Amino acid sequence: MNKKGFDWEEKTGLELHQVQKTLNLALSTGADFAELFLEYVLSLSILMEDDIIKETSENVSLGLGIRVIKKDRTGYAYTNELSLEKIKSAALSAAAICQLRPEKSSPLILKKINTASPDRNVFVGQKPATSATLANKIDLVKRAYQQAFKHDQSVKKVQVAYGESMQQVWIINSEGLSIKDTRPMARLATIALAEKNGRRETGFFGGGGRVGLDYFNISLTPETIGAEAAREACLLLEATEAPAGEYPVVLSPGHSGILVHEAVGHLLEADFIRKKTSIFSDSLGQKVASELITIYDDPNLPGLRGSYNLDDEGTRPEKTLLIDRGRVVDFLTDRLSARLLKKQNNGHGRRQDYTCWPLPRMSNTYIEAGDQDADEIIQSVKKGLYVSQLSGGQVEDSGQFTFSISLGYLIENGRLTRPVSQATLIGHSFDILQKVEMVGSDLDFGLQTGTCGKEGQEVPVADGCPTLKIKAMTIGGTK
Amino acid sequence: MTKKVKDNWRALADRLINYGRKLGAEEIEIVFSDSREFNVEVRLGQVENLVEANALDCSVRLFQEKRAVSFSSSDLELSTLQQLVKNALKRLRLTSPDECSGLPSPSLFKIDFNSLKLYDQEINRLKPQDKIKLALETERLALKDKRITNSFGASFTAYEMKTLLVNSQEFAGEYPQTYFSLSLGLQAGSGDNLVEDSWFSAKRFLAELASPEEVARKAVDRTLRHLNPRKIRTQNVPVVFEPLMTSWLLGFLFSCVSGTAVYQKATFLSNHLGEKIAGENVTVVDDGLLPGKLGSRPFDTEGVPTQRTLVIEKGVLKNFLCNTYAARKLNLKSTGNGDGYGVVPNNFYLEPGPDKPEEIIRSIKKGLYLTKTIGHGLNSVTGDISRGAFGLWVEDGEVVYPVSEITVAGNLGRILQEIEMVGQDLNFESAICGPTIKISEMTVAGL
Repeated sequence: MNKKGFDWEEKTGLELHQVQKTLNLALSTGADFAELFLEYVLSLSILMEDDIIKETSENVSLGLGIRVIKKDRTGYAYTNELSLEKIKSAALSAAAICQLRPEKSSPLILKKINTASPDRNVFVGQKPATSATLANKIDLVKRAYQQAFKHDQSVKKVQVAYGESMQQVWIINSEGLSIKDTRPMARLATIALAEKNGRRETGFFGGGGRVGLDYFNISLTPETIGAEAAREACLLLEATEAPAGEYPVVLSPGHSGILVHEAVGHLLEADFIRKKTSIFSDSLGQKVASELITIYDDPNLPGLRGSYNLDDEGTRPEKTLLIDRGRVVDFLTDRLSARLLKKQNNGHGRRQDYTCWPLPRMSNTYIEAGDQDADEIIQSVKKGLYVSQLSGGQVEDSGQFTFSISLGYLIENGRLTRPVSQATLIGHSFDILQKVEMVGSDLDFGLQTGTCGKEGQEVPVADGCPTLKIKAMTIGGTK
Repeated sequence: MTKKVKDNWRALADRLINYGRKLGAEEIEIVFSDSREFNVEVRLGQVENLVEANALDCSVRLFQEKRAVSFSSSDLELSTLQQLVKNALKRLRLTSPDECSGLPSPSLFKIDFNSLKLYDQEINRLKPQDKIKLALETERLALKDKRITNSFGASFTAYEMKTLLVNSQEFAGEYPQTYFSLSLGLQAGSGDNLVEDSWFSAKRFLAELASPEEVARKAVDRTLRHLNPRKIRTQNVPVVFEPLMTSWLLGFLFSCVSGTAVYQKATFLSNHLGEKIAGENVTVVDDGLLPGKLGSRPFDTEGVPTQRTLVIEKGVLKNFLCNTYAARKLNLKSTGNGDGYGVVPNNFYLEPGPDKPEEIIRSIKKGLYLTKTIGHGLNSVTGDISRGAFGLWVEDGEVVYPVSEITVAGNLGRILQEIEMVGQDLNFESAICGPTIKISEMTVAGL
């Protein structure tokens, strides 16, 4: 075992033989599977506003979640009091799921635990942000803050937030697996507010991921983060209202990955598939999208926000081809959905924290690059909308999805003309996926600040896509 | 493991306050919470998930020479908390002084919470089997309707929490609260013509919770009404918001009258205090003192007593909702809406009007009855709204067919002035709520 690793025994007082005993207690009512998820998270946030470092906050979260599975039923209990008595009681609470329909068979017994460790490291950096000094982090915040003001005199208010976390997990299950992981994360983001002639607009920019502080000196400087937020706010001051109705839409590379996340990703999460609530439930092998579309989800990409060494069930994750030239070839699975669907577990079981059980989730989802030039794509549109920045999206199982533009441009006769402000695009997955007409060669990943919510659980994700042209989509403007 | 002092929080809080003071903190505030949760989810007739949990949490703010710093921890080990106090005071030296920071002045403190009716003893008597039965029964009743083709499941939650707040200004207050909810999500249709909707009931008292029959019937009706939607052309029409939609709109209004947004200039309403921003028929209230309601509490997380605050009175913007910090920034008084670092609503609602919901629909010649929005398109700086939407198309006072793949767009500033009718149907199923309303015109985009 890694000697430098986090000392769980010191932090929790728990020893391996006690863990084993707890698992056997969780199995005692006849479960197929039992698992302990121990989590310790140390996080820090810094906020700058009104020219001062207004507040710093530190958070410690320590807790244990116990999951018991019987067929497709899940019992779950969590506690953050790690006394043996509380842990025992949590194990019995979770095990109660099996007592609803008692069956006569002798319970499984866990006899031996094998300790494993992750075989990869998605973290990129010299050292995690948690081991850098506070002065260092405050310096980053101040640099972004000052740059945003420097950008333009119409910038009136700036808010810069820095956040970092160090999550330690220890997963032990009734199949005898014991595995630990360390997951650092950092994030720096700016909101700038610009004002001119009584009109006010805000811009947002940020970045980070599974990276150390060196990332902010090499890949994305605080100056860029500050300036880009200010630039967006100032551009929006000049923006006109978006059109309303059906138009051709060109999506910028990177940020528009939200399209693939909402229109495809969620609907291929295997829990929706096994419950048959997703419109893609019976679509394996079928063509659902234009042949130009190939989609992957890859948790192994170094440094990205959605990446992980192990999923939250201790499974080593795999790069998963979801859509191959328009055809559905796979789903995102976790342990339970893989077993019920008789498919391979590709390591997409993720949870927000110890209070939640894992669900099949996306990590870094992207559309593979095509071969068209971005300029050619824009030139092909007579009248339409170019989506530059997106602020979020949502999808229903029925395939209806939206995403929100925070900054776009009108396309008139093949050229970007006036900027347009806030509008919502709406479409139906089947329909929009078929209507993708051109795919650019410029694959990029969007801002490394994204979080995806599902059933009340938030997890960090990243999306990517090249420039895309959609033949027609409903734009919810006012003109 | 050292023994935790959790059984005596008051003593633990006092020890931390003394410890912090010894290290130089001038003001300290400590909030403890202890919650218990039971949740059961059933789907297609069987229990799918069962959750039982308890969670402790401690949040602390410290101040010294007008500098603020905070931490929170779910590890209540005294040594951990003392280390966090030490870390916090170390960070404090790198934080800048801020004239407006600090605890509320002690003179504001007065507490009376017996009359608020926030805790239902029933929670201790309710057996797991009874809770499971409620969820199973709700789903079973709904699935009797053969037009319902799939279920997202029914869920029952019982939740209780005890809050203790102690600060160095001699404030100490404590209260328990309960919360129950019953919900059901359904799907109808087939192929790529799937529709979904849900219904729920949420109350502090179990006896007030809607019956399984009512939740099932409403969930079924709400789902089926979306079947076989049509697309419509882009047009400007009157839009009726059903109560859930009014609640959603009020949620957006709340973010625009929150003192934090006002001092950050992040709301289009920041310069309009005292001005007429809506019609005579619009009165919006924030009230933390309504007995038994979900948004009620005796004091906020800073120990400021909650109150009834008129936000909009007959169309005039009367008050912004503030915590202590935002109030000092704006030279106003705290309205008891504090929540850790921000501002939260207590019971934030639009007062009901004279009209029956059916009459409101009957008044529409051609327009949209809005039932659901999805997406993120809200901008409090400008008041702009643009969301994906679902609804029912209304012609000559009658619902004629459902519509989908549309968006609604407008501006909250204009919407407030164009509320033509206000319904009688206000139900407190959430902390933010409102009755049916009619807006004279919004842009509905489709084909």
